[in-house]
Amino acid sequence: MNEAYCITAEKLARRGRSQVPEELVSSAHLIYSSPATLAFNSPGAQGFGVKRAGLAIPGSVMLLVSPGCCGRNTAMLGGPGGYGERFFYMLMDDTDIVTGRHLTKIPDAVREICEECAKTPSAVVICITCVDALLGTDMEPVCRKASEQAGVPVIPCYMYALTREGRLPPMAAVRRAVYSLLRPAEREPDAVNILGYFAPLIDGCELYALLRQAGVRRIREISRCGSFDEYLKMARANFNLVLNPEARYAAQAMQKNLNIPGVELTRMYQLDKISNQYRLFGRAVGAAFDDRRYYGEAAAAVEKFRRKHGGATFAVGEILNADPFELSLALIRYGLAVSEIYGTVGDANFPYIKKIAALSPQTKIYSNLSPTMLYYDESDSDVDAVVGVDAAYYHPGRAGVGWNGERQPFGYAGVKALFESLDAALDHAEFRREP
Amino acid sequence: MTGLLKYLSPFAPDQSGAVSVLYEMGGLIVVCDAGGCTGNICGFDEPRWRTRKSAVFSAGLRDMDAILGRDDRLIAKLRDAVSKTGAAFTAIVGTPVPAVIATDFRALGRMAEKKTGLPAITVETTGTGLYDEGEESAMLALFETFASEPFPVEKGTVGVLGVTPLEFSSLRAGELMAEALKRRGWKRAECYGMGSGLESVRRASAAERNLAVSPAGIKAAEYLKKNFGTPYDVGCPFVPGSLKARLTGLEGKRVLVIHQQVLANAVRDEILRETDADVTVATWFMLKDRLKREKDFRLTGERQFAQAVESGGYDAVVGDGMLRRALRRYKGLFIDFTHFAVSGNLSE
Repeated sequence: MNEAYCITAEKLARRGRSQVPEELVSSAHLIYSSPATLAFNSPGAQGFGVKRAGLAIPGSVMLLVSPGCCGRNTAMLGGPGGYGERFFYMLMDDTDIVTGRHLTKIPDAVREICEECAKTPSAVVICITCVDALLGTDMEPVCRKASEQAGVPVIPCYMYALTREGRLPPMAAVRRAVYSLLRPAEREPDAVNILGYFAPLIDGCELYALLRQAGVRRIREISRCGSFDEYLKMARANFNLVLNPEARYAAQAMQKNLNIPGVELTRMYQLDKISNQYRLFGRAVGAAFDDRRYYGEAAAAVEKFRRKHGGATFAVGEILNADPFELSLALIRYGLAVSEIYGTVGDANFPYIKKIAALSPQTKIYSNLSPTMLYYDESDSDVDAVVGVDAAYYHPGRAGVGWNGERQPFGYAGVKALFESLDAALDHAEFRREP
Repeated sequence: MTGLLKYLSPFAPDQSGAVSVLYEMGGLIVVCDAGGCTGNICGFDEPRWRTRKSAVFSAGLRDMDAILGRDDRLIAKLRDAVSKTGAAFTAIVGTPVPAVIATDFRALGRMAEKKTGLPAITVETTGTGLYDEGEESAMLALFETFASEPFPVEKGTVGVLGVTPLEFSSLRAGELMAEALKRRGWKRAECYGMGSGLESVRRASAAERNLAVSPAGIKAAEYLKKNFGTPYDVGCPFVPGSLKARLTGLEGKRVLVIHQQVLANAVRDEILRETDADVTVATWFMLKDRLKREKDFRLTGERQFAQAVESGGYDAVVGDGMLRRALRRYKGLFIDFTHFAVSGNLSE
């Protein structure tokens, strides 16, 4: 009672994936609401949630059809000049909830919005929420009618938090939705799409250079498309490079509808694994990547950090651009101490937990979502550096980085940027929310 | 089109109002949702959340929980959380999900009490109502549940009902209210929900008088009057100093004040204390007949709002700055008067 639950990596690994304690299983308990869980409950509050992601299509606007509560926090994106001019709301009342009457109003609402916009939108994205999930609403015919009436493409996206742990969770579904306007087009053999994120990769990411080594001349990311026409050119890609498993469904849909195959790469922070992945990727696409320079730069950044701050003991969170367990494993393998990890245990990351158990058996694993985190007390903790917004919440005043910026770290560049940011933060004994 | 917002964002919903009332009461609050509502309530509508811990949880409902009506699982999780955390009571706050599946909140409350051994409050908010309705329901449930014992009246004590950050746009609202009341001669002010917690609610009958500072506080005040004979007034003892300083040049003007009705009335009184302006109050929220003057009116939609202001001949509008976005053709003076429930902005 009155103590935050945690389990050592050793004990968790010994229990095995099928016996993960209920405290670490989100469906087994109430979800504690703290700044460390905000991104779980409301991804858009600290980055891209369904609403903001749905506007990834250049020139699009969104109509959120929902009870007023669902659109409340969108006000923080408001204001002229930004997203504020791209969001519209059709508020449902109690009668709508019972009868589904709101669906009949959507086509007129879309037409009114399009007439109001200074420039006709390239598309209208209709976002519906839990109410319509429970009503079993079929949005496709509604969108077709709205499109006919307004004369612009209208597509649905689903902010269905109820299906978060289902086969097609909301953030995977919206990724599929934003590419759904692409139509079959003539293939460009030297073009590749990067799928997975709603902001570009960090500048200097070696992936761009390596792709060019392989003869790729056109690399497209939806976030870099400056116009709807540029976005439509994504249909010409020779293949898709999927960097986030949440984009897998989108890639599968593009394979089916556009005949664009996909290759998936994983974001990692272990240098040897990154190297191995590029080697296998090169083999798959028939190219021999020369990544030595990038490997060397990243390794040098790690070594510089180790020499200066190798004595630091880390807490690693999950509100960051990494899998907390893979990142923790990387830090441990670099000779750094990781005392606490706040993360959601799943099939994909359990192998990392087993490796952490072998190298750092006493590393403590917490779940941000556990009700017991109400009582997390850092006074007995030996943590003196943090990675992740949630880790910083538990250890206020500790040096470290949030590592939760919108630009996405990947590959060697991600490792280099992380350690350079950590180096600067620990040099100045400060916490840096943005890199 | 009714219900279509092209310029404004949605206002704070009823579920946020309910949590706002219960936040400092020491209970275990469960928002009966999948997660997003809790994220909105805590991450956006509760400014105390980032600096002051409270036992607020999401039920973490999933599709099958809703489809199969698995209330027993929710109660089991609630019992588990109670066993791991110290809480004086439990509170279950409704959202659109239980509204769609017609959850029986009374039954839920009884099950919660039986399984946890603690008093349980349920607030049947739906996410379609506005914050003041949720505040009103939560406040009434709180007093009905805990203010059941008569205590000797403590002269000089005033109970303040309806003070929340959503109403007064300040984390210091309780403090400011108490200071203003002390200046008016009260020895002690119990600002329920902002500074005064559950024990004060239990002893509510000890207050000499109650003051409802927002329409949402009136029903609780009536309950206390009915059960303990505590008389009450409706009014706000202060107008923010930063606003007072900007209420200038209004002599002889037509002015529209937009806020929660009680505070808007206080602003009107302030203006009329110094000038002979023609002041009308409008509100997006509760408009009580007993508190309104002839021309006061309720705002019901973006188009109606714009038309009322633009054709109303107002020289000045006093209201939250976000509302300007909907007044494309209004050319008069706009004096910013923050309302957190409207814009999500605090006045400090």
